[in-house]
Amino acid sequence: MSLKTLAETAFATLLFSVPGAAFAQAWSYVDGSGATVTLDHVPTRIIASQDAAAGLIPLGIRPVGIYADSAIADAKALEGLDLTGIEIIGEAWGEVSVEKAAALKPDLIVAEWWPLENNWSGGKDVSVALKPLAPVTGPVQGSSIVTLIEDYERLAASLGADLAAPQVVADKAAFEASLTKFKAAVAAKPNLVAEPVWAGTDGLYVAATKASSELLDFASWGLKLVDPEIADDRGYWETLSWENADKYQPDLILVDNRQKSTMQTALAQPTWTTLKAAAAGQVTDWPAYWLRNYAAYAGALDKLTAAIDAADQDLSTE
Amino acid sequence: MAARAASATGLAPAARAGGFVLLALALCLVLVLSITVGARPIALADIWNALTAFDPTQTNHKIILDLRLPRTLVGLLVGAALGLSGAILQGATRNPLADPGILGINAGATLCVVLGISVFGITQLSGYVWLAFLGAGVAMLVVYLVASLGREGATPVKLALAGAAVTAALTSVTSAILITNVETLDQIRFWQVGALTGRTTDILLQVAPFILAGIVLALLTSRILDGLALGDDVARGLGLKVQRGRAMVGFAAVILAGAATAAAGPIAFVGLTVPHLARAFTGPNYRWILPYSMLLAPILLLGADIIGRIIVPPGELQVGIVTAALGAPFFIALVRRRKLAEL
Repeated sequence: MSLKTLAETAFATLLFSVPGAAFAQAWSYVDGSGATVTLDHVPTRIIASQDAAAGLIPLGIRPVGIYADSAIADAKALEGLDLTGIEIIGEAWGEVSVEKAAALKPDLIVAEWWPLENNWSGGKDVSVALKPLAPVTGPVQGSSIVTLIEDYERLAASLGADLAAPQVVADKAAFEASLTKFKAAVAAKPNLVAEPVWAGTDGLYVAATKASSELLDFASWGLKLVDPEIADDRGYWETLSWENADKYQPDLILVDNRQKSTMQTALAQPTWTTLKAAAAGQVTDWPAYWLRNYAAYAGALDKLTAAIDAADQDLSTE
Repeated sequence: MAARAASATGLAPAARAGGFVLLALALCLVLVLSITVGARPIALADIWNALTAFDPTQTNHKIILDLRLPRTLVGLLVGAALGLSGAILQGATRNPLADPGILGINAGATLCVVLGISVFGITQLSGYVWLAFLGAGVAMLVVYLVASLGREGATPVKLALAGAAVTAALTSVTSAILITNVETLDQIRFWQVGALTGRTTDILLQVAPFILAGIVLALLTSRILDGLALGDDVARGLGLKVQRGRAMVGFAAVILAGAATAAAGPIAFVGLTVPHLARAFTGPNYRWILPYSMLLAPILLLGADIIGRIIVPPGELQVGIVTAALGAPFFIALVRRRKLAEL
């Protein structure tokens, strides 16, 4: 420990030992990677990854800067959020403008911890670039979006958010109402099986439930999902040649809606309609990997509920 | 020169004709395999029914008619186009390493497709076809114009240099776009590898007229190429219009390579390797090298595609990866076994 740090520590100890002094309150947070971040004041200048921003903004915590995985207009997570006054410091996965980030003088970088990648949102390049500016922290990408939103609530509250604000309360109530309807729709169709997919020219990719938080949520609320055989060690998808697109016959197909082109690609394949659900039009959006707040989740659930209500649950077994 | 021509081995004339027939039979066999072998096992009886009594409600019939048949025909045409364009480019530029890549054709096609994705938001394969064609044509034209500057016109060395320069320039623009635009990179990855997957009937119909016209044109150039192989001065002495001949060959090569790249993406090694393989059978006579290349290339391309279909079930490996993995060692072996033909 250098003399300078020693002096600083001594000074800080002196300050905090003064009873009742109106000094900035220390702030501490246990993050998704298991590390504890401690600052001598509650951070106010926050740089957030697009997903963290989507989690925090609806709770009333506005970051000063956002780095996104794509052009902002294409970032599903940020859809419908008011971003006025927030500087965009990155618009591609793994890329961030360190210069712009430094100019924002951040106290804290909020991202998400991806255990499968063993890294923060945006990848190693981004976290290595931002770490010297301020501590990188945030919740873990886990087994449920609901848990993730609760983690954001905990983080936002520690940052001074008012979780009893009318809009926050209304968003949560709307989500619970949507969830009740979703569970009822699923319960009414016990035979319905859904298949979450991503479509490429080279094949149909079937998603593993365990690799996606919202799919785990859907499953925990009773929705039956196709269980693909995963050969990849990364554990996300089973790749089917378009010749084998009908390996599974679901009653409802959920198509990854992060990019509009995915659905177009699916529709352009001659064997897309060998899936009975595709032929019958029992296809809807899968809000893949991007839900981070109650308002967005409520909207996505309503859409799924409508698709389930309209679906013939015995399509695949007929 | 004469000594070299005589010493260059190859089969006797009668055997060459027999070899051609054998190759044609081998190609037929590969075509049959390409329709019968795939990621999904389909019984022969089903395949026959699909071709003779198509029932659109049967998944197997749909796969045969809508996936494997167009894919096979695209592979046949693309293969023939790559083999022929490689052979005539090697002949016209007298460069044993010439292939559609060397004259800027692949680089031009790739840049245009990248621009189409990043600027115009085109996301589907059928949209890439015209872009790739346009890019290949413009790039080849620029290469030819640059090479034509100066008194002696477009000589082989100047063509190769201009091609390398234009390729470098176009590739750097492509890289600049891709580095700053990850989404475009995501989309183009599958195209850039080179594949026959997802090539449906509409893509076949888009490129077929061009490739067929290009094949006819290319086969007509064999006399020009045989002349050019003797050197520009001798060719001129024999009464050949060297510049016009080279322009005609270049035109045929652009049509063939442009259409092939448009249909399947830039596929490496086929256009480079096949003419050398053909030469091993035929000796240095373009009247035989061209038809041999035209048959050998689709055999290799479809063969590689078939391997790619069954090697990683239930998915597939793209043909560009297979040809690169097979082509590189094969080419090295070829070069080592037999001194690379001087052209």
